[in-house]
Amino acid sequence: MYSIGNQSLVFIALTLAFLGLILVYQASYQALKVLPDLTPVGPVFIGTMVRVFGPTVVALMLATRVGAGIAAETGSMTVTDQIEAMKVTNADPVEYLVVPRFIASIIMMIVLWVFGVLVAVAAGTLIGTLRFGIQLRTFLSLSGTTMSDVWVALFKCVIFGAAIPILAADSGFKATGGSEGVGWATTKAVVHSLFTVILLDFLISSIAYRFGW
Amino acid sequence: MSKPVETDSFLGNFGRTFITAFQTVGAMTLLQLRIFRSLLAIKNFDYDESVTQLFKIGVRSLPVVIATAAFVGALMVVASGNFVRATGATTLIGWAAGTAVFSEVGPILIGLMFSGRVGANNTAELGTMVVTNQIDALRVLGINPIGYLIVPRFMAMIVMLFFLTAIGDLFALTGGAITCRAVLGIDMRIYWQGILDSNLLSEFIMGLVKAIFFGGAIAIVSCHWGLQVTGGARGVGRAVNDSVVTSAIAIFMVNFFITVLWT
Repeated sequence: MYSIGNQSLVFIALTLAFLGLILVYQASYQALKVLPDLTPVGPVFIGTMVRVFGPTVVALMLATRVGAGIAAETGSMTVTDQIEAMKVTNADPVEYLVVPRFIASIIMMIVLWVFGVLVAVAAGTLIGTLRFGIQLRTFLSLSGTTMSDVWVALFKCVIFGAAIPILAADSGFKATGGSEGVGWATTKAVVHSLFTVILLDFLISSIAYRFGW
Repeated sequence: MSKPVETDSFLGNFGRTFITAFQTVGAMTLLQLRIFRSLLAIKNFDYDESVTQLFKIGVRSLPVVIATAAFVGALMVVASGNFVRATGATTLIGWAAGTAVFSEVGPILIGLMFSGRVGANNTAELGTMVVTNQIDALRVLGINPIGYLIVPRFMAMIVMLFFLTAIGDLFALTGGAITCRAVLGIDMRIYWQGILDSNLLSEFIMGLVKAIFFGGAIAIVSCHWGLQVTGGARGVGRAVNDSVVTSAIAIFMVNFFITVLWT
C-alpha cells in the first residue's frame, strides 16, 4: 500500500496539475469564442474533473506507474524461478503477491482520485483566476457537480483499481526468458492496462448515461 | 555525479526526489545534444536501421492506437452528452468532441499509448542490450551506438507518432460518431455538421505539432532509461517502469507549454 500510494503521489500531483491547467486554459479560450462570459467554466470544469478526467487520468497514471511496477516485479520473480520456489513451499503466489497489491490498488485509486481532483482543481483555479480573471467564488462552485457524478466516479475508481493489478500480475507471471522477457511483460502490462482503463471507462460512462445517472 | 545522502526523513526524501529529477533531466539533455550532433553529421547514422525502426514502430502500434483512439472519441462524446442533455444544445456536440479530440485528448492519449507500446518496448530492448554488453561490443567494433541505435529510433518515433496521431484523430471522430448515434441517440449528421462548422483546422494542426514533440520526448526518455540499465532482469523491469512514468510526465508538461504558446 505504501509503495503504491506514496510513491505515486508526486507523479500524480505533477500530471494532474498540468491537466487542470490545460483544461481550464482550453475551456476558457474556447468559451471566449462562443460565449460572452466565463462563469460556467469553473463549475463545468470541476464537474468534468470529478466525473470524467479525474478517474480516467488517475487510473492511466496508476496503470503506467503501478501496473508497470507490478509486472516488473512479478516478471523478474518469474524468470528467476522465485514463483516456482513459492509453489514448492506451498505458498500460493497469487494469494501472497497479488491479493495485497489488489486491495492496496483499489484503496489507493480512490485516495489518489480525491487527491488528483483536488490538485487539478487547485491548478485550474490558479490559471482561471490569474490568467482569465474569473472571480474566485464563481470559479470554485460545485453547481456543476452532482452526487451521481461522485458515485459514478467512485464506481469507476474501484473497477479501474481492481483491473490494473490483475492485468499487470498476469503478464508478469507469464514472463519467460530473462531480462528481455521481463521488459516485454512490462510493456504488455502497460499497454493492456491503459487500453482496458479506456475501454471500461467508455462502457461505464455509456451505461451511466443511458440510465441517466 | 554525487550520490545524495541517504536519509529517511520527509525532507530527505523530498530533496532526493528533486536531485534525482534534475540529474535525469540533465542526462536527457546531454543525450539530446548527442543525437543532434549525430543528425548534423548525416553519415553518422544507419539508414537500414532507420527503415527497420520505422516499420516496427509504425506497423506494430497501429492496431492499439486505432482502438484507443476510437474509444477515446466515444468517451468524449459520452462526456459531453451529459451537458448536451442538460442544455439541449445538440449542435454543440460535434464542436465539443472535435475540439477535445483534436487539440488535447487525442494527442495526449495516443502519446501515452505510444509511450506504453513503443517507448517501453524500446527501453526494454536497449536495456537488454546493455545488460548483455551488446552496446560495449558495438563500441569495440568502432560503431557509434548513438548513431547506430538511438538516432534511427529518435527519428522513427517522431515520424510515426505524427502519422499515428493523424490516423488516430480520424478514428476518434468515427468512434465518436457511432457513439453519438448508439448511446446518445443523436443523428450522426448533426455531429459531423458540428465538426465541419466549427472550423477546427488550427486545433488539428496543433495536435500534430504536439505529436512531433511528444514523439521526440518519448524517444529521448525511453532511450535514456534503456541505456541506464544496471543489474539484469530486475533492472530492465525497473527501467521500463521509470521510462513510462517519465514519458507521461513529459507528455503532460510539453502539452501544456505547446497549448499556451500556440493560442
